[in-house]
Amino acid sequence: MSSRTLRYTLLYIAFLLAYPLHGQSSFSNDTINIGEVVISSKKANSDAPGFKTSSIDTTILKLNSHNSVAYLLSHFSGVSVKSYGMGGSTSPSFRGTGAGHTLLTWNEININHPMLGQSDLSLIPAGLIDDIQIYYGGASMPLNSGGIGGTINLETRPVWKKETLMSVNPGIASFGQYTGLIKLRTGNSAFQSVTKGFFQSSENDFRYLNTGISNEPVWQKRTNSQFNQRGFVQEFYLRQNKSVTSARLWYESTNRNLPSSMLIQQPKLRETQSDESLRTMLNWDHFGGSNKFSVTGAWMMTKLNYTNSLASIDSRNNSGTFILKGTMERKVDAFTNLKIALNEEVCRINSNNYNDNTTRNTVSLTATAERNSGGRFTSLLLVREILDTRNFLIPDFSAGLQYRLLAGKEYYLKANLSRNSKIPSMNDMFWIPGGNPDLKNEYAFIYEITYEMNHKLSAPITMNYDLSLYRNNIKDMIQWYQGEYSYWTAGNIKGVNTAGIESSFSLDYSENSFAARLRAAYVYTRATTAKSNITGDASIGRQLIYIPVNKANCSLLLNYKMLYSSWTMSAVGKRFLKVDNSEYLPGYMLNDLITGYRLHLKGTVLDLNFQIENIFNVNYQTIAYYPLPGRSYSLKLLIQIFK
Amino acid sequence: MKKIPVIIFFLTMIIACKKNEEPKRGSFLTGDGVFLINEGNFMGGNGSLSYYSYDSSKIYNDLFTEVNGRPLGDVPNSMELYGEMAYIVVNNSGKIEVVKKSSLQSVTTITGLISPRNMGFVNSSKAYVTSMYSDSLIVINLNNFSVSGYINLRRSSESIVVLDDKAFVANWVGGNEVMVINTLTDEVIDSVEVGIEPESMVVDRNNMLWVLCNGGWMRENFAELDGINTVTNTIEKHIQFPTKEASPGCLRIDGNGETLFYLENGVHRMSISSQELPSEPLIAQSGHYYYKLGINPVNGDIFTTDAVDYQQNGHLLHYNSEGSLVSDQQTDIIPGSMCFKLSDN
Repeated sequence: MSSRTLRYTLLYIAFLLAYPLHGQSSFSNDTINIGEVVISSKKANSDAPGFKTSSIDTTILKLNSHNSVAYLLSHFSGVSVKSYGMGGSTSPSFRGTGAGHTLLTWNEININHPMLGQSDLSLIPAGLIDDIQIYYGGASMPLNSGGIGGTINLETRPVWKKETLMSVNPGIASFGQYTGLIKLRTGNSAFQSVTKGFFQSSENDFRYLNTGISNEPVWQKRTNSQFNQRGFVQEFYLRQNKSVTSARLWYESTNRNLPSSMLIQQPKLRETQSDESLRTMLNWDHFGGSNKFSVTGAWMMTKLNYTNSLASIDSRNNSGTFILKGTMERKVDAFTNLKIALNEEVCRINSNNYNDNTTRNTVSLTATAERNSGGRFTSLLLVREILDTRNFLIPDFSAGLQYRLLAGKEYYLKANLSRNSKIPSMNDMFWIPGGNPDLKNEYAFIYEITYEMNHKLSAPITMNYDLSLYRNNIKDMIQWYQGEYSYWTAGNIKGVNTAGIESSFSLDYSENSFAARLRAAYVYTRATTAKSNITGDASIGRQLIYIPVNKANCSLLLNYKMLYSSWTMSAVGKRFLKVDNSEYLPGYMLNDLITGYRLHLKGTVLDLNFQIENIFNVNYQTIAYYPLPGRSYSLKLLIQIFK
Repeated sequence: MKKIPVIIFFLTMIIACKKNEEPKRGSFLTGDGVFLINEGNFMGGNGSLSYYSYDSSKIYNDLFTEVNGRPLGDVPNSMELYGEMAYIVVNNSGKIEVVKKSSLQSVTTITGLISPRNMGFVNSSKAYVTSMYSDSLIVINLNNFSVSGYINLRRSSESIVVLDDKAFVANWVGGNEVMVINTLTDEVIDSVEVGIEPESMVVDRNNMLWVLCNGGWMRENFAELDGINTVTNTIEKHIQFPTKEASPGCLRIDGNGETLFYLENGVHRMSISSQELPSEPLIAQSGHYYYKLGINPVNGDIFTTDAVDYQQNGHLLHYNSEGSLVSDQQTDIIPGSMCFKLSDN
């Protein structure tokens, strides 16, 4: 191959990686003036050197305040989302890993359901959250253990200014959906109170083409799919000379009927699920000279009840979790920071699917050293020891290195290597039948290289680009399998390797009263079974089921004076349904449009927002035989009064 | 040189035109063979139908979808042949697919059934269908393929055997009874208390009903094999398995009604006149996880299915009547019950 051909080939590959791209914006500066700018009081660990993080643009977050966090992740990030439909259980997947390998945190406190070891993202409306940060692979290590794929952190923050804001945000949408979001924020530069309330109800009776029950496709209406949800958040923040104290409370309640697969048309089948959670958190951050201290205490309870009238199942599950987290950070010298974090987590389960009330206590101690050479190199080293009830786990570690390619320019080369452990979920260990108390923890070696650039092309134009290559080798992966007896049991039976490329690109233009933002991302994921205890396992070397090899999304936001508009495209490639990859769900591409007009009056903002989802009425599924809605419309009105 | 791309194009076209060497469905379905129900994953909608042809010693998978252009449904459980029709009971889809035996072409679908499991034919006009999650036996009118009634059992039902004017219905999940139905009046006339969780039943040449009770999945009771006199509806034979850990299943009988077979860490064989259980399996389970069992009623060949890990394609293992492996065929996911289609039967 001539050097010219090679050059063109590389250029073409770079073009493929860079052009169709992005969603997970790696910057947080808002240039489109359609919403208030939220100022963070506390920077998260997002700038851990050598690691990849991103966040959902706060503008996008506000435009989609009535959608779930699941919608935002699936349309604006590289995270894959598997959904049983609107209101139905929705689970995330990072970098080819499972839902249980994604850590969901609220202000950096783990809120994964302790029984399931994962979270249902459909339960979290975006309107209750101020920022969504995404930590890829090893980047999740400073927050907690267990996020082998990554961590999604939901932040709520104060705005330190003397102001009172009251907003009412009702909405109406297709399929009998009604939503409402209210917010009251008041305070000054020392004290802030934030109150948010949310409700949503939907008949969710969309029409779909059932191709599975008769020789000719039949149009049917989704039945037994109604849901209603309500939530409430109260936060108090007190800022003193060298400290910030906060108290947070988050209550949510969701009742939903669970529709079945389109192939199941049994009479008298009625499945329901109700989820209730109360999360409370007290936090104290102290900043004094070269030291920082932080103490967070959180208490959370969840109720998850599932009923199946046909099978006479009435599953009742209650959990209570107490978390105490303390960190101490010290600047040792001009270049070196040391941080010690102690995390104590006690959870207690009361379930009619367990033999007894079951308690687990997990303690971890994490030491982190970060060094900036003063030049272009920055590095981080983390070591963690976990005590799980009575067993010390093999220590985890993480090392990151970041190199600024050009002095004064934001071109970075990042590399990191981590070992991350995930302790089994309570269900994996104690569910009757099949829970296995002798399970070992899963662990993974994570490798990643990232190139990242933020470049101001000219006064009105800014460009951002990043490209990551990663690999996860997951060992002792837990899977439920048919054991010696006639029921399923959990075991450490598999090894899985995932590897891939993530690339994102964004271009911002802002001049006078016009602003535009183009974002694109592409994710390539290979996730294969590497090791199995089954002779002749057909899944070895094959793509894991429901993990798309290709995923891309793209969005264009335009703002001219009072008018704004956003076009979003989200494409997901085929997902295999059988472990030998002989059957698959076809890929799909969805297009959504949001347009609105925002009127500023004296002390008041009126915003009328119209949204069309799935513009081209694409018939698609993310789980086989669970139909998802075609084209739908929604209309929202936002009234904000400032004082 | 300019012709090279044209030549390559035509070569590509020729190579791409692959000759279809598969025999037409009609050809292999006319011969002897075994229909195999692949249950697929619960809620996965990937149940399917396979056919193992004796003539070619080949298996043909996913036939229902291939013929009818739609999936079979969620967790098909059993299949029965009666007259010119084949009836596929699809448990979690709550339906019975009625297809032509010779072509598998769909005739109709009987829907609206609660958790149907197995079918027993009373005559050419009437059949019973057992139900796991309802307390009634479903009565099907075979003339118009519709539900004509229900027989209230007050308990769930699993396997069914029709003998003369009686139908014997096992109350499997959590139960310990075999209900006796008068097929002329569709009424429950008696019940027989057996061991815990009667899972499968067969009738021998002396009209004794053999009931295999697996003892329950919690292993809190002994499994047992009970023999019921079908005239007096009383237990005449009772053989208990040696340990509570034993969890036998899939009781089958040969074509002569003389030899029983069941699965318990391998394939076991015993004579109906034996007073005790066989100590060693006829076919050891080594390397496989046997899920279901079938016995060719004509030549006594033994078929077992191996569901592997219940996620990937399984296997249909064909042994001769003495337990020597004849062939190992790859099936779809969770190969389950079998239905023999034999010209001499």
